[in-house]
Amino acid sequence: MSNSEIDILKRALAREKAARKAAEKILESKAYELYVISEQLKESNSTLEKLVKEKTLELKGVFENIIDAYVVIDLNGDVIKMNDPAIGLLGFDNSNKASNVFSIVESSEADNVENAFKRLLYDGYLTNFEVKIKTKSNIKKLVHVNASIILDDNNNPIAAQGIVRDITASRKAEDNLIESENRLASLILNLDSGIVVEDENRKIVLTNKKFCDLFDIQDTPESLIGMDCAIASQYTKKLFADPDAYVEKSNDIFKNKTTILGDELTMIDGKILERDFVPIITKNESKGYLWTFTDVSIKRGFRKSLEAQRQKYRNIIANMNLGLCEVNTDGIIIMTNQSFLEMSGFTDAELIGKDAISIFTDLSEADILVEENKKRNKGESNSYELKVKIKSGEERLWLISGAPHYSINGEIVGSIGIHLDITELKMLQLQKENLVIELEKSNDELQEYAHIVSHDLKSPLRSIDALISWIKEDNKDKLDEVSIENFKHIETTLEKMELLISDVLEYSSVGFSDQEKNLVNLDDVVHGLIDMMYKPDHVKVEVLNKLPILTGDKTKLQQVFQNLISNAINFIDKDQGFVKIKVEELPAHYQFSVQDNGMGIEEKYHDKIFKIFHAVNKSKDSTGIGLSIVKKIVDLHDGKIWLESKPNMGTTFFFTIKK
Amino acid sequence: MRKLKILILEDDIIEVMKLNRTISSLKLNHKIIEANNGEDALKLLENKEELPDIILLDLNMPKINGIEFLSMIKKDPMLQYLPIVILTTSNNHKDRLECYKLGIAGYVLKPLKYKEYVSKIEKLLAYWSINELRIK
Repeated sequence: MSNSEIDILKRALAREKAARKAAEKILESKAYELYVISEQLKESNSTLEKLVKEKTLELKGVFENIIDAYVVIDLNGDVIKMNDPAIGLLGFDNSNKASNVFSIVESSEADNVENAFKRLLYDGYLTNFEVKIKTKSNIKKLVHVNASIILDDNNNPIAAQGIVRDITASRKAEDNLIESENRLASLILNLDSGIVVEDENRKIVLTNKKFCDLFDIQDTPESLIGMDCAIASQYTKKLFADPDAYVEKSNDIFKNKTTILGDELTMIDGKILERDFVPIITKNESKGYLWTFTDVSIKRGFRKSLEAQRQKYRNIIANMNLGLCEVNTDGIIIMTNQSFLEMSGFTDAELIGKDAISIFTDLSEADILVEENKKRNKGESNSYELKVKIKSGEERLWLISGAPHYSINGEIVGSIGIHLDITELKMLQLQKENLVIELEKSNDELQEYAHIVSHDLKSPLRSIDALISWIKEDNKDKLDEVSIENFKHIETTLEKMELLISDVLEYSSVGFSDQEKNLVNLDDVVHGLIDMMYKPDHVKVEVLNKLPILTGDKTKLQQVFQNLISNAINFIDKDQGFVKIKVEELPAHYQFSVQDNGMGIEEKYHDKIFKIFHAVNKSKDSTGIGLSIVKKIVDLHDGKIWLESKPNMGTTFFFTIKK
Repeated sequence: MRKLKILILEDDIIEVMKLNRTISSLKLNHKIIEANNGEDALKLLENKEELPDIILLDLNMPKINGIEFLSMIKKDPMLQYLPIVILTTSNNHKDRLECYKLGIAGYVLKPLKYKEYVSKIEKLLAYWSINELRIK
């Protein structure tokens, strides 16, 4: 081997060595680079790891600390995990891991929950699910659930997590809101005032039933929405007494857009509407215009009649002839009317604010007023007489009708007295009483007088009769027949005269009752009378039915029958005569009749015969007073007497006696 | 029959004549004492020894009338027991009642007819003649 060769080899070796060295150096630096990178990676990995850890922790904290309830369940519904609000909301006992969410669902919600759970499994999530639950502590709640499925590494569902919110209260509030909106709507619909809300363009936004009624619109309120008010008013104006003024005014009001209250409209049928116009402005923005129409006819009518009544009573008070005086509870005069001023002689100024007692009464009468005022304050009303002294100093007698005066609140604020001056009346009454007493006295005197006169008139008759008897006795056999006949005439005349005097006395005595009215059994009385009376053989007197028992003066009633029966007997001119007595019961009276078949009485005398001294046929036993006495007695018994008669056929006297 | 002492109180002369004539025509033996008015009668009655057996009293008289006289007699302790028969025209209920209350022995109405009068007086006196009622 040559050096050259060796050199060549040596040089090749050296170059090889150098190349290796260079490669080693490169490798070394690459290895270092790698190291640095791997160090860097290592570092960033740990940072990431830390970050992930932090985030997980953070998330965990969020779930645990969120206010809403957070629940993780397995696919059977068993709770795996939940936060404190969940415990509170669902009422689970934290320690009891076996809690199952299906166990707290209301039984009625079972299907709902089943469907929702299927949806959750299928979609992987569930939102806005609402369900009613009943917690372990037995509280019913409405809850809102948002849930999602948790998957494992192989994308298989292993659990579900959800956020549960209690919406019981908010739902209730929502319901309330809806309800109150409904209420409001129905209120507007059924309001007793007609309502129209229109927008800027006069289109109807809202109206109600009453409006339709008032304006005689057949359509429903809803169908009017969108209608143009200006056009509508052209149709409705005919309902108003002055249609054009109505339209014009409506347009003016709308143009001005200011609130108008209590505008009155008279309708053609006499109804009166009160109209309000109110712009609705919220936050400076116009929301429309509210028209309100209210039927005030009745109210107006009340007010009118109230006013009329008030005027009426005011006029009565002002013009009545009764004095009116109002005092307060202390007896101070508050108000008087014209008549009171006239009767008292004072002026208004002299009375108002003064004490009524001290003005009008002296000490002796003051007590009465004090007593009456007490009654007023107790709420009693009554009438009393009071001696007062009026301004002229004259003493007058007043009849006062007092009544308590109440305030609107019902408390007594004084009394109102109506005063009537009865001084003259009282005097008249006293006069009347005196007159009655005097009349009674003079009646008694008259009665006495009648007796004395009749006595004085009868005495001479008796004396004449005695004297004639003596003359006849003393001159027995000396008198001729004519003289004896004349003496007889004198005696008959005396008898007639005595009868006349007796009848006149009796007639004048009929009005004076010696006896009180008693129950009289007329049947007994009349039968007794007939037995006692003189009856000629050819006359039959009979009572056809049973006579009643009634209240009256027995002697006088007997007199009536006696006079009528004896009259009937006296005037019988037939061979066979009868007198029939009968009674008929009327509602308030008994009607008696005495019928005969005598000579009868001509009709022209029917009234006359009851007048004193009007005997139609003068006879020995008739003075013409008998029927006058009968009439007077019947009158005294509140009855009537009349007759029916046919000449030559007979007469029936009818008379009634009050039951 | 007892002979009666009769006091008649009557202002009418003819009435007195009627009584006298009746007694004489009936042939009765009674003694008639006349008084025309109440005052005279009271004077007569002052003599207590000569009191009448019966008084016939008319009611209608001047000065003291019959009822006044009657009430005066009834106040006198001695005279109040004298039987008094009213002989009058008055059929007035009031008069009768008053006399009844004061106390009377009878009430006879004077009839119109003289014959009737005689008959009534005869019976009246007949009764008092047989009556044993007296003080002594």
